[in-house]
Amino acid sequence: MSKDMKFLVVDDFSTMRRIIKNLLNDLGYQNVQEADDGQTALPILQAGGIEFLVTDWNMPGMPGLDLLKAVRSDPKLAKLPVLMLTAEAKREQIIEAAQAGVNGYVIKPFTAVTLKEKIDKILEQRAA
Amino acid sequence: MTSGIEALRKDYGSSIATLAGALAAGDEHLFLSELDLLVHKRERTLFSELRKLTGDLQSALDRFSVDSRLVDLAEKEVPDARARLDHVLKMTDEAAHRTMDLVEQCGPLAERTSRSAGDINEMWARFRARKIEIEEFRVMIQKMDAFLVASRADMDKVRGNLTEVLMAQGYQDLSGQIIRGVMKLVAELETALVDLVRLSRTGPGALPVEKPAPSDGMSRGFGPAVPGVDNGPSASSQDDVDSLLAGLGM
Repeated sequence: MSKDMKFLVVDDFSTMRRIIKNLLNDLGYQNVQEADDGQTALPILQAGGIEFLVTDWNMPGMPGLDLLKAVRSDPKLAKLPVLMLTAEAKREQIIEAAQAGVNGYVIKPFTAVTLKEKIDKILEQRAA
Repeated sequence: MTSGIEALRKDYGSSIATLAGALAAGDEHLFLSELDLLVHKRERTLFSELRKLTGDLQSALDRFSVDSRLVDLAEKEVPDARARLDHVLKMTDEAAHRTMDLVEQCGPLAERTSRSAGDINEMWARFRARKIEIEEFRVMIQKMDAFLVASRADMDKVRGNLTEVLMAQGYQDLSGQIIRGVMKLVAELETALVDLVRLSRTGPGALPVEKPAPSDGMSRGFGPAVPGVDNGPSASSQDDVDSLLAGLGM
């Protein structure tokens, strides 16, 4: 898997964005962009170049679920790998996210190992 | 009763007299126009009563709506908010202790690495100056072997702890989300109390009560699960999430 892969991390809390960015850097992914909600993320995604999206759910402006739906309904972005990284843990939410086309779902608080496993799994499935 | 009759006599006496006079005199036009005036006057009184009743009813409904919202806030949401803030306190406490535990673990490792390096450094300087005895050279090599093995293990441990320290900062996001929810509740409580004060001051004709904005539910999210507060089935661990998704064919 190419370590040059470009990530976009979307979370309204800058501390969480820093944590995820640092973990991605530890995993060898140095190319990480950030956005604080769906509204700011969408133009970055539409501009092209992002190869992996990691997004929170509960954010002001556009929540992560709406961002996921927007991504899936845009022909240029429809196949983008999306990992939901969120404190939202209700069963119906996880099902809703799965139905909306999420590729992975990690609940907060999470571990570095879980994040790595989910990213690897998504990328393996993409490569297959 | 006399005063009621007196009031009626005062309000309607002259009209009745005019009507009786017009009837006796056979003045049809005067009779009908006076009768119209009388009916109109009666309607006005009725409408005014009706308006007052409607106002009272509206006010009662508004008060009921504020009261029931306040009851809901006081009975359910304020205790919930207390539990949420307790959870925040617990999370921040745990994160601070976790961070300090990890830092305390790293301290001796760093110190040991520094001390061992210093120890070898002196012998190394003598070796570079070609002033080392063969026996001391042997000791130096043994120390260097041990140092390389130990420092690698120690630094791996330090590196792992640094990642753990990073992860422990995730409490800020989770507690921040909970605090935001409580702030929203406090704002709602304030609105309900202000509405109550306004209603009790002004009675009928008071400004309409602002209903709390309806939450747009699932799309926006519910925030982190708080033990003992959230209802409804939640995944309590990453394993639950994974098995749920596996059940959905993911």
